Amino acid sequence: MLKTYKTALAVLAVTASGAMASDLTVTSWGGGYTASQQKAYGEPWEANTGKSIHWENYNGGLGEVRTQVESGNVTWDIVDVLPDQIRTGCDEGLFIEIPDDILVPTADGKSMDEDLMVPRPNKCAVPQIWWSYQAFYNDGTFSGQQPDTMMDFFDVAKYPGKRGVHTWANAILEMALFADGVAKEDIYSTLETEAGADRAFAKLDTIKDHVVFWSAGAKPLELVSSGEVSMSLAYNGRVGGANLNDGTNFVSIWHGQVLEEEWLGIVSGSPNMDAALDFVAFASSPTAQAEQARWINYGPMRTSALDIISAGEPWFNTGVNILEHMPNREEVMGDSIVADPDWWADNGDELQERYQAWMGQ
Amino acid sequence: MSDASVNVKKRQMMTADGIPLKRSLRISLRREKLRGLALLAVPALFVIMLFIWPIYTLFQKSIDDSFVNDVLPRTMAIYEKWDGEDLPGEVHFEAMFLDLTTAEKLEIGKVSTRMNYAKSGWKSLIKKSNRKFKKFDPQKALLPQMIKADKRWGDIEFWKSLGIMKDRRTAGYYWNAVDRTYDSKKNVIMQPENRRVYVMFWKRTLLVSAIVTVACLILAYPVAYLLATLPLRVSNLLMICVLMPFWTSLLVRIVAWMIMLQQQGVLNDSLVGLGIIAEENRLPLMYNFNGTLIVMTQVLLPFMILPLYSVMRGIPPTYMKAAQNLGATPSWAFLRVYMPQTVPGVGAGVILVFIVAVGYFITPELVGGKDGQMIGNQIAYHLRKSLNWGLASAMGVMLLVAILVLYWVYDKIVGIDNMRLG
Repeated sequence: MLKTYKTALAVLAVTASGAMASDLTVTSWGGGYTASQQKAYGEPWEANTGKSIHWENYNGGLGEVRTQVESGNVTWDIVDVLPDQIRTGCDEGLFIEIPDDILVPTADGKSMDEDLMVPRPNKCAVPQIWWSYQAFYNDGTFSGQQPDTMMDFFDVAKYPGKRGVHTWANAILEMALFADGVAKEDIYSTLETEAGADRAFAKLDTIKDHVVFWSAGAKPLELVSSGEVSMSLAYNGRVGGANLNDGTNFVSIWHGQVLEEEWLGIVSGSPNMDAALDFVAFASSPTAQAEQARWINYGPMRTSALDIISAGEPWFNTGVNILEHMPNREEVMGDSIVADPDWWADNGDELQERYQAWMGQ
Repeated sequence: MSDASVNVKKRQMMTADGIPLKRSLRISLRREKLRGLALLAVPALFVIMLFIWPIYTLFQKSIDDSFVNDVLPRTMAIYEKWDGEDLPGEVHFEAMFLDLTTAEKLEIGKVSTRMNYAKSGWKSLIKKSNRKFKKFDPQKALLPQMIKADKRWGDIEFWKSLGIMKDRRTAGYYWNAVDRTYDSKKNVIMQPENRRVYVMFWKRTLLVSAIVTVACLILAYPVAYLLATLPLRVSNLLMICVLMPFWTSLLVRIVAWMIMLQQQGVLNDSLVGLGIIAEENRLPLMYNFNGTLIVMTQVLLPFMILPLYSVMRGIPPTYMKAAQNLGATPSWAFLRVYMPQTVPGVGAGVILVFIVAVGYFITPELVGGKDGQMIGNQIAYHLRKSLNWGLASAMGVMLLVAILVLYWVYDKIVGIDNMRLG
């Protein structure tokens, strides 16, 4: 009975989403990010194989994937997921493990795992990009000295105005500790202690009365351009993308950015398994990874892809250099915090509740 | 006379094909009834599949806690034997080791997610240990080996947290939903102060819904009155004005409000431009509690206007005239004659708006900012992001019960029969 009901729901979901007869369904975040995947991976793959891809958008989270797998009615083949989701999803069997032999080595024969800037958390994960939470402002907002560190973001006396901050605890807690003077290597060990968490929230308290919260990625750009806030946190690709494509004059503060991974996973029970495997192998190859950077300023995960880009500059499709907009280029890595998804998997629930409580005070 | 009637009773009436009329009638009536039932079966099935069954599974999910017992049977079977004071003995470590090494990998992934709700750290403890378990020597004592592999196995708090999950049914998610939790002996205790969030969200949800309902009533009453009393030509136009936003996409309306009300928005710009407020005192009307209130009131207004209107249409204008003829002032006549007759419409509107408002989450999500979020946002978060479906289900059930209670109270005070939607 449970099964019947779930099937009925799944059928409804399919009809509602209008999934058409296509050879592969790839679900991602929409906007410029999906567009870059369509250009770099989708179109060439379709041309090579003669198959067609149906692109779906979602809002993150494993809710839909879990429903599909548990009901046995899988309609998504590939999902673009955040670091904690690829971990949970692989642990819970929502994603399949990718056989090693399909992954494309570099031109000089290095295996993909040797080529990656961060190790794969498990065998389900197919590399996609590195992105970051960063602070930014509109050029001309501040007179005199310009903000350029995470400390400045937390300094509302020196740089007046409101601050745009997202509604979940990831990254902002790391930034608070970093701005409070904790070395980046010690951030997670500090945050794990009661005193360390208190310290992070105490730092947040200093900007509490100046915070405007956002939860959709396009929102911070709107808040900053309209002057609603003077500085905001945002996904680096949104900020750079607006500058590169729409001619805005946002200034990124790379200091204290928090780098996050982005992976592809193949949903267990995917109806188009062969096509899905073929697609992820292609999408994680060095050349395809580099190709994505023609369309968006998120950093490829493979070192060899970065090499291809730097050798080919100006690489961006409008004929400008792209490397200086990348979150994982060498010059900015020194002051960047690399997020620890395993740590968040353990402590996320608790800190999220505490963050909610803080927001609601 | 009496003889004749007896005769009629005895003589059976027959149909043309020789079946007694009574039976024939019964057959045909039954067929009719079956056909009626068959017609009913479709909607009944629909209601069961899409309404009763989901609510039942929702309830099931909110109290089910059998998973840990299923995956860690040995550990849970002897858990009671532990005194809960000192570090558990070798038997407990052995049971845990055997459970974790024999369970399927996927089951372990799921169970560690569940256990992590009880105590942060279980997830990585199990994951990391499982990798090291392969190198263990099962002939030797497991306690020292496990603590050597990860010192958290020696942390009594982890063992204590297992006590929370020892029963197959739990009210724990319900307690979580009101900022309470179990200690290791399954006594209900308050969450630590800095993690208390949900009571605040419940209160805010009720407060927002109540304010929105009252605001809708105050705004809708005169509009509905005009709609019902103005000449048809004018009232039709007015009706279109009411329905237009109703037909417009919710998102479009929300974005329009954002443009209007944000600090650099149309309203604030005008007020500053007219010199009514100073540049630095721009009103915070969006991305906070105010934003949620304003936008929800506008979005839900038609739900109040329409039932009010349909009831007011049915009130003959002659009543008011009669009251005034009998000496009542217009306002007195309105209060004593007109308003009591609109109560069924008010009741319907209030119930409708309140129930819809309580479950709202798109609007608060977009315009609520930090202090305009409601319980619906929390349910969505736990369904989609944290995957704590037990907690999400418990909150869903509580919301449902709250609405049923409200309905019951309404029935006691106003009477459900008095409610008219049109």
